[in-house]
Amino acid sequence: MSEEPVIMSEEPVIHHLERDQFVAQTSLPVPPVVLGARARAALWALRVFVVVVSVMVLYTFIDQLQ
Amino acid sequence: MATHEVSAPSPALGPPRLTEEDQARSADRRRVHQARRQHRRWRLLWLLAGPGILAMLGENDGPSMIAYASDGAQYGLGFFVPFIPVMFLMAYVVQEMSMRVGAVTHRGYGELVLQRYGRIWGWFGAGDLILTNLVTLVAEFVAIRVGLAYFHLGSGVAVALGLALVLFTLSGGRYWRWERIVLGLAAFNGLFLLAAILVKPHLGSVASSLDFSPFPGGGLNTLLLLLASTIGATVTPWMIFFQQSASADKGMTPQDVAHGRYDTAAGAALAALFGIGALIAGAALLTHHGSGIEGFAGAGFPEALRRVSGGAAGTVFALGLIEAGAVAILTISASTAYAAGECVGAAHSFNSSPRSAAVFHAANVGVAMLAAAVILIPGAPLLSIALNANVLATVLLPVSMVFLVMLANDRRLMGRWVNRGSTNVVAIAVVCFVAICGAAYGIDSFLQAVHVLRA
Repeated sequence: MSEEPVIMSEEPVIHHLERDQFVAQTSLPVPPVVLGARARAALWALRVFVVVVSVMVLYTFIDQLQ
Repeated sequence: MATHEVSAPSPALGPPRLTEEDQARSADRRRVHQARRQHRRWRLLWLLAGPGILAMLGENDGPSMIAYASDGAQYGLGFFVPFIPVMFLMAYVVQEMSMRVGAVTHRGYGELVLQRYGRIWGWFGAGDLILTNLVTLVAEFVAIRVGLAYFHLGSGVAVALGLALVLFTLSGGRYWRWERIVLGLAAFNGLFLLAAILVKPHLGSVASSLDFSPFPGGGLNTLLLLLASTIGATVTPWMIFFQQSASADKGMTPQDVAHGRYDTAAGAALAALFGIGALIAGAALLTHHGSGIEGFAGAGFPEALRRVSGGAAGTVFALGLIEAGAVAILTISASTAYAAGECVGAAHSFNSSPRSAAVFHAANVGVAMLAAAVILIPGAPLLSIALNANVLATVLLPVSMVFLVMLANDRRLMGRWVNRGSTNVVAIAVVCFVAICGAAYGIDSFLQAVHVLRA
């Protein structure tokens, strides 16, 4: 993967805006990053953990209503 | 979409055609460049202030201020007077990253997560945000209703006031106008400090509480609830979405990062000060064992304060609650609108007209209307919704924070503006602390609800 920044924030200004501030530029998507297997697994683990705890909080909330 | 029908600007092709969004932002940036060229430091600070103060004072919302006041009424000042600033230091660490990523990339949190890490993570984040924002917005309308009940006004007035403010602030079609109106309203968060002065606290007891003692009594679940709700009162997912998107919408650049830090720090300091104000005002009810507070029911806190500390304290606290709910409705609706526009790839700026940014404007008004509709439902469990809003935000926060730390460390996006090692250490500690507190409360409460643990 290249180390070249995908967003060039220190371009000269045109109409008081940096080049990458124009809507025409910001509407272009930034390239996706490929996460490693361990990073993906960690993110999924965190997501599952958060969903499980959220369900517990929502269950408690409904239980309190009764 | 109209705003996208321009060619990419290129110096070789001469000046680019500007969209309405570019034109509005260009006018704002012209003033910033002038102030910087003329070395007008205070003017520059004034022009660049906004997203940080709004994120922090927006989070000093109705449920948060009632939570601080409840803490004061039930446990007194000890522990909370130093704990609230520590929580806002934590909020500063998170929000500084959010501002920096927005200023460097000129993009919102939602679109960066979606484009950089994939649609699944982007939509998960947006789903978390919409759920917590909807619950919190209901709580904001409830807080306005509590404040208005003090003046014998009902839910209908609360709904009309909240929705009228959303429509009024959107009407100018400019980010700058929206930001300045909301900043003006947010200044009235200082009413909680005035309420604290009016209850005539004993300064010695305020000073002596700075050593984190006495620690609040009660069981483990009570302590975990206090921690989870206080964290939820200082950092939430909407603040991350809001400050990053608002920094980009304002047109901030890497050159403005230092001022963005001043803005965020000022917001954190003011929010901590006003939060402590609510705590001190609430502590006036301590000797009455918090009796007659009624939380979010009726005129609640303001009425209880009036009986104990006089009409002025009650009136100021009631007005403070109306302000806290109103400002939060504006900032939380805005964060929902930014996320909606970013996730569907539509225009998402206050500088765009409703015609060219239909999703953004519809989401802004729509989420406020949906929350308003909930408080008009007879018998809706508003008290429980309001009490659980902060806790739910705390539980869902770690995922948003992990992606923010990843973005702030993405060298291809951030270049030399990536996190320092020390920032990462603090940020990871904050993520772990929030995750542990939220999970501990969720699990402990659940085990009590299913009668595995005794309450």
